[in-house]
Amino acid sequence: MNPGLKLLLVMLIALEISFTQSLIVNVILIAVSLIYILLHRISFKALFALVFWPLFPALGLFVSQWLYGDAGIHFAWILFTRIYAYVFLGATFTLTSSITDLALTLEQDFRLPSKFAYGVLAAFNLMPKITEEIKIIKTSALMRGEALHFWSPELYFKAILSSIQWSQNLAEAMTSHGFVEDQDRTHYKIIKITTLDWALLIVLFAAVQAMLYFIRY
Amino acid sequence: MTDVSITHFTFHYPKSDVKVLNDINLTFHSNHFSLLSGPSGSGKSTLLYFIAGLYPRFIGLDATGTIKFGDTDIKQVPRDQVSKTVAMMFQNPNQQFAMDTVIHEMTFVLENLRIEPAKMDNIITHALTFCGIGNLRSRVINTLSGGEKQRVALACIVAMDPPVIVLDEPFASIDPDSRLDLLHKLKVLQTEHGKTIIIADHDLADYQSLIDEFYYLDPKSHQISLLDAPSAQKFFEHFKSTQTINKRVPLPSTSDPAILNIRDFKLNPHHSILLKLDNFNFYKGKMTLITGANGIGKSTLFNALTKLLAYQGTISYDGKNIQKIRPLNYAKNVTLLFQDAENQFLNITVKEELDLSLANKFTEAYSAEDVQGMLQALDLTGRDNQVVYSLSEGQKKKLQIVEMLIMNPPVLLLDEPFKGLDYQSLQVIVGFLNDAKNKFGQTQIAISHQLSGLEALIDYHANFKNQNLTYQEVVK
Repeated sequence: MNPGLKLLLVMLIALEISFTQSLIVNVILIAVSLIYILLHRISFKALFALVFWPLFPALGLFVSQWLYGDAGIHFAWILFTRIYAYVFLGATFTLTSSITDLALTLEQDFRLPSKFAYGVLAAFNLMPKITEEIKIIKTSALMRGEALHFWSPELYFKAILSSIQWSQNLAEAMTSHGFVEDQDRTHYKIIKITTLDWALLIVLFAAVQAMLYFIRY
Repeated sequence: MTDVSITHFTFHYPKSDVKVLNDINLTFHSNHFSLLSGPSGSGKSTLLYFIAGLYPRFIGLDATGTIKFGDTDIKQVPRDQVSKTVAMMFQNPNQQFAMDTVIHEMTFVLENLRIEPAKMDNIITHALTFCGIGNLRSRVINTLSGGEKQRVALACIVAMDPPVIVLDEPFASIDPDSRLDLLHKLKVLQTEHGKTIIIADHDLADYQSLIDEFYYLDPKSHQISLLDAPSAQKFFEHFKSTQTINKRVPLPSTSDPAILNIRDFKLNPHHSILLKLDNFNFYKGKMTLITGANGIGKSTLFNALTKLLAYQGTISYDGKNIQKIRPLNYAKNVTLLFQDAENQFLNITVKEELDLSLANKFTEAYSAEDVQGMLQALDLTGRDNQVVYSLSEGQKKKLQIVEMLIMNPPVLLLDEPFKGLDYQSLQVIVGFLNDAKNKFGQTQIAISHQLSGLEALIDYHANFKNQNLTYQEVVK
């Protein structure tokens, strides 16, 4: 499915289940998403992370609603599954779509200005460098006798300083590679939204509507 | 034929009396290979960025005078035509790509130039083959070594096919084989494809037989002159002489106490082995100089020693595995003077920086008066309220060294500590380092390309070559 439409669908469903209360629909969404990502052969480690990390907020919500809320254990389960529904819906996109294809479709089909599409893509590709930089900032601070934590303003000051420098360098590099804002470009890989893509979007979204209408538990 | 002619070109920062470039008049001839040299920080990059059409746009400050390609002022070239006129290769291999993989970056470049998609495959294959990196086509750029990244950068330029190619210290962090290979590729681009090559470099190795013109940016007059053959010869010889010093040092004796021990050690950050050591010691209270070519892994070794990078094997400090020492405790004992001074700064003004070191110093070795004396000797006084990031590169380096000396760690790793320093400051700092070693027993391990002036400092010399580190008697 076209990555742009897939993202749209995931966001629409996620928004909708924020305002509806159906435990079974949540579970169905989780199950369908799980089957979808398993079909794409994701690693066991990634799957474990998907199950493990949301456990803390999900359990927290569950327990506080169950013990201290007025709406009872059924609502507590809805909150619990809702967290997992968000995570698994998100995973159907993040684990199976290429960020490059998303940028391409946003540029070609959704008419997003190319500087945003490629700017975001470039920033995304800088992520590993940012992790490295944070490590350098922290180590360098230790060498000056200061332990920086994620709440330390110095960490952010230095990180922002580096990002400004990088974004400048990146803009220069893109320019020297011939990129000009708001100028037409040719496209090696044409990404079109097909009728099948639209059909899938409509059918899946309609299916969720039907489930939410009929399954009220 | 497109000569690049520069007339009455002057650039200076506002609020500064010093002109970075002072009334430059010269012509880079079409189809010539021109080398522009001069000390680091003298303004070579600034000129190249203007030639490449990146400045004034990315600096927000204009210069006076003109830069013309043939008869056309670079400022009159429409923005979508600039890349068809001139392309630039940058110093930092890590910040010149927008996309994830080599092939994506190259298609991005060609799409920008509005090349027909049907022609792209051929252009890309040809450019990659020319640069000898056909096998890197689908690789993720972040996983490539510095040398490989610069080859990809050159492949992008070959695909763009502009008449003028500008390169800003492109070899600063790549290995000598890649450097030589890239230089020969540039020569082929000049002789067989009619390109005009303008390259800035302060490292003069390998250029003598390749270049047509040698330009020198004088750091005092801020002017560029074309050198005649005898003066060029002098520069090449002088450069060679700074690369060696005539000094013999003893090999470590077996009775020396080791402070850092490296065992069964392997370093392979880019899927290729940089360094392999069975058993290697750095010795307590000694100054060990590490020499070796660019980009072969010297700084990477420091990253492993400071736990910034994963490695295989064991590193022990004072007999204890460094992975078992708590981070703050280890950082206080084995401290790195970063190659880039800005990495060391945590605060905003000079005074805040010095106060932080005085407040957190690991020992009482230096008093506030000592620090004032050091600042005076380095001509850094009276700058208390200046923002550290606005200091010149040389001043940043001096401040950085002073604040790390104040910390007085038992082991100080120094990564190119003399880069960009004038000779007099270098001698003052050599004195400070000697004091730290002799009075406080500090162990120093330094990576340095600058050798002249260090004679009084070096106790041992370890050479990094062929993925190995060996102690040697001769320093060169």
